[in-house]
Amino acid sequence: MIGNDGRVPEAVRLWALRLFVMTRKELLQLRRDVPLLLFLLYSFSLSIYVSGAGISMQLNNASLLVHDSDHSESSRELIHRFRQPYFRFDGEVQDQKVGVRRLDQGTAMLLLDIPPRFHESIVGHEPVSVQLLVDTTNAPQGLSAAGYASRIIGEFSFDRVSSRLGGASDGDIRIPRVDSAHRVWFNQDQNETWFQSISHILRMITLFAFLLPAAALVREKEHGTVEQLLVSPVTPLQIMLSKVLAMTLVILAATALAMASVLKPVFDVPVKGSAALFFLMTALYSFTTAGLGLFAATITKNQAQVGMIALLVISPMLLLSGIATPFEAMPPWVQTLMALSPLRYFVDVTYGILLKGVGLELLWDSVLAMVLLGGTLFGLGMWRFRRQLA
Amino acid sequence: MDTIVTVSGFVKRYKKHLAVDGVDLTVHKGEIYGLIGPDGSGKSSLMKAIAGVLTYDKGSVEVFGTLVDSERAAERVKQRIGFLPQGLGLNLYPDLSVEENIDFFARLRLVPERDLRERKTRLLAMTHLDKFRERAMKKLSGGMKQKLGLICTLIHEPELAILDEPTTGVDPVSRRDFWSILAALIQEKGMTALVSTAYMDEAERFHRLSFLSGGKVLASGTPTEVQALAPGSMVTVEATPQVEVIARLKKSFRQVESLGPLVHVFTDRVDQAAAKLEIETALAGLTPSAVRADKPELEDVFVALLLRSAERKESPGGLPTSTAAHGHDGLAIEAQGLIRDFGSFRAVDRVSFRVKQGEIFGLLGANGAGKTTVIKMLNGILSPTEGAGLVAGADMKTAGGTIKQRIGYMSQAFSLYMDLTVEENIRLFAGIYGLDTGAMNKRFQWIVGMAGLSGYESSLTSRLPMGVRQRLALGCALVHSPRVLFLDEPTSGVDPIGRRRFWEILSKLAREDGVAILITTHYMREAEHCDHLALMYAGRIVAEGAPADMKRHVEQEAGRLFEVVVDQPGLALAHVQQAGFRGAALFGTKLHVFCRDPVRDKACACRALEESGVRVMSVNERSLSLEDVFVYHAMALEQAEQAAGRHVVAA
Repeated sequence: MIGNDGRVPEAVRLWALRLFVMTRKELLQLRRDVPLLLFLLYSFSLSIYVSGAGISMQLNNASLLVHDSDHSESSRELIHRFRQPYFRFDGEVQDQKVGVRRLDQGTAMLLLDIPPRFHESIVGHEPVSVQLLVDTTNAPQGLSAAGYASRIIGEFSFDRVSSRLGGASDGDIRIPRVDSAHRVWFNQDQNETWFQSISHILRMITLFAFLLPAAALVREKEHGTVEQLLVSPVTPLQIMLSKVLAMTLVILAATALAMASVLKPVFDVPVKGSAALFFLMTALYSFTTAGLGLFAATITKNQAQVGMIALLVISPMLLLSGIATPFEAMPPWVQTLMALSPLRYFVDVTYGILLKGVGLELLWDSVLAMVLLGGTLFGLGMWRFRRQLA
Repeated sequence: MDTIVTVSGFVKRYKKHLAVDGVDLTVHKGEIYGLIGPDGSGKSSLMKAIAGVLTYDKGSVEVFGTLVDSERAAERVKQRIGFLPQGLGLNLYPDLSVEENIDFFARLRLVPERDLRERKTRLLAMTHLDKFRERAMKKLSGGMKQKLGLICTLIHEPELAILDEPTTGVDPVSRRDFWSILAALIQEKGMTALVSTAYMDEAERFHRLSFLSGGKVLASGTPTEVQALAPGSMVTVEATPQVEVIARLKKSFRQVESLGPLVHVFTDRVDQAAAKLEIETALAGLTPSAVRADKPELEDVFVALLLRSAERKESPGGLPTSTAAHGHDGLAIEAQGLIRDFGSFRAVDRVSFRVKQGEIFGLLGANGAGKTTVIKMLNGILSPTEGAGLVAGADMKTAGGTIKQRIGYMSQAFSLYMDLTVEENIRLFAGIYGLDTGAMNKRFQWIVGMAGLSGYESSLTSRLPMGVRQRLALGCALVHSPRVLFLDEPTSGVDPIGRRRFWEILSKLAREDGVAILITTHYMREAEHCDHLALMYAGRIVAEGAPADMKRHVEQEAGRLFEVVVDQPGLALAHVQQAGFRGAALFGTKLHVFCRDPVRDKACACRALEESGVRVMSVNERSLSLEDVFVYHAMALEQAEQAAGRHVVAA
């Protein structure tokens, strides 16, 4: 059926017209859903700002208690080295037990116990130790607090050693030492808001790309309109595809809004690679995730159930795909399982394009994985949808 | 007489919307009081307020002499009330069994275990649910769910039962069953019932009633009193060409309705001979082949009252004719031995029928009789296990796509997008059927004219009144000028005027444009509009023919129908049934009895009544309604099935 004078064949025109009117219908319906629109707007603006500015994994303001049994020049100097913004000196305790209780209550994070005769030992060139108790119920914070603290104590100790050696040889320090001369790439200021705000956009894209088409499809089932569509010439493929198309457009617009209103002006997040490529990849990711959502819609009866499935599927995706914790740090079986999560690939693609400025020549394998996953999920959803209608 | 409920000056507002506007009514002890009216007429608000679960804005509600104006006052009367909310089985727990549901409601009401056991056994036997004690409620049919709902509402033997649309969506047999159970219980326990319904023909079931429309009472009193509010006659005319007959009659009469080959006209002349003469004169030269005058039914009276109340000024807007001239000949639908199995269950069993272009074909049957499955197969959504079918010239097995392009379909739910406007809905379906812009605009104008939608074009569909919504759904189904139209229970919740208007459009489509229409309905009065009917039972077609033929057939088999007015209806029913009149049924204060030999049987029935001390006030012959036909067939089949032991229809 090829048009002989360059005109579009009738069948193709009809097919495209049907897809077009169905897509327009989805957008119209979304436009009328004011609460949902407000939620969408909030999720891609204010909520991005809040999580960018608010969420921090870095050690900040950790409460430090000191049980100083020495009250000497050396003990004071050591205490002073625990500085803002990492540590907050929360006072001294007279009894070590009181300090331990504060740790139990959770009102202090570290307890530094300096023994009597601390200064005397240092001056007398004797080895001496201090005790540091760290609350690591919040593991990342506790571990970094312990790490920072041992570095501070180590440096204090090194300074004592070098001043003694220096004192002996008149300032000419000749002890072996290695300095770290590291260069920070991609995020030179080590600005954590970049990572957090981009992560949050990914979270929101995932959530909406899953929920919007799934809810739209289930709503048609709930209201019985799907019955009307089925006796019309619209095919199941057009029904599903129109939802994906409409919702992908909405998500692209929302992502652009987030970039233009928060990421660029407020957090100065750079777009080092091609912005067009980033949006193209966002569209691909929306399609892939929508496939997952539509599949979920075919196994549920109403919107409440879709919401519950979303919790079940989306939470592990968000937690384990590399935006909450480093992917490489997870046990191998989780890594294998997460190969099924499209977000895992989109994370690489997004940071790659936005922060590293790389292109398809390096990201092609992630892109291919998204295409394959999306195609499979969409196909599965189609298959279930068709079977259900019969 | 003791007064149970007194409502005066009742007003209920939902934000800006005035739902009930100044209603007064009094319910006496021992009566079944009816609230009749279409969706949105204010029935539910009124009932909820009486049940003490809804606050109101003005007026007063007194139940058992207690003014229900606060939560505390409501608590005082609640123990003496049973309330069945609207919606099939909505007050029941789907996953609990029949028995567990009853037990739950009884224990909630602190019914002593011994009473519970006794009442349960009796009620279950009465409703024929005793065989299904262990079955989960969600697996019951619609009629059974409603009966279970009734049991759960009455298990604590309340003095007042408030039942909100208990028969909506239930098939005629279960509906009739429901009414007789209710009548018997009320009689026996001295209960009082306040019942609402959207089915106008159920009005005769009530001792007294109020007819509500738009939050106001249009009429109230006993059925006879209400009837007297619009005195007149219903004249039935058969003449050709029907289109011309209707056009001439409409010049002088407001209430003209075509029912298949017949035309019904309401005239306010009570004298039947004069009424006939008046109609014949109005026909001006067209000689009718038959003219008959009857007493109008309550529904006719309601329509007359509605038309009289001035606010109803929907312009009839003259239906535009379709431009395309189509042939009226040829077969539109042909089903040949259709069979459909779901696992081991045979939902449709060797169904065959034919529908010609221009014919209105009605498929009747209880829920689960297989009507929808037949339609799905004909629409090409479901493939038949066996059998063949042609729809609009295409084979349903191989050319599903072609069929979809050629048919229109409208479902019970109207299946419109509520969050789109009228225009957006029409344009969506126009696009789906591939209309180009020119054709779309033309068709849009046609639909707006046909459905009387002008002024509503940019309103959201959810804000439309039910009748307008229904016509919009019809318009969307007709957007591509299909040759065959499928309507699956298309008139639920629409008021009588809206329904008449809908049927006017359908008749015109069939008569003038030659569209073939296949319709399913629970509303037996609507079935009268059809040219041909097929009654389905357990997947099979068990009776078939034109409405008049079907009635004649039942008359031959079961006899003529007589209405007996007596002073003790409950007692009378029992005695008449004992005397061998098995099809006898109770309608309000009247008995309906089939008599095979009018003279002898009538005498026999009257004698049986007089002997047991019941006074017979009058005996009149009634013409059979299609509901009588439906119930007759269904009961005969059920009895045959029981006689043959538990016969299973599965293959």
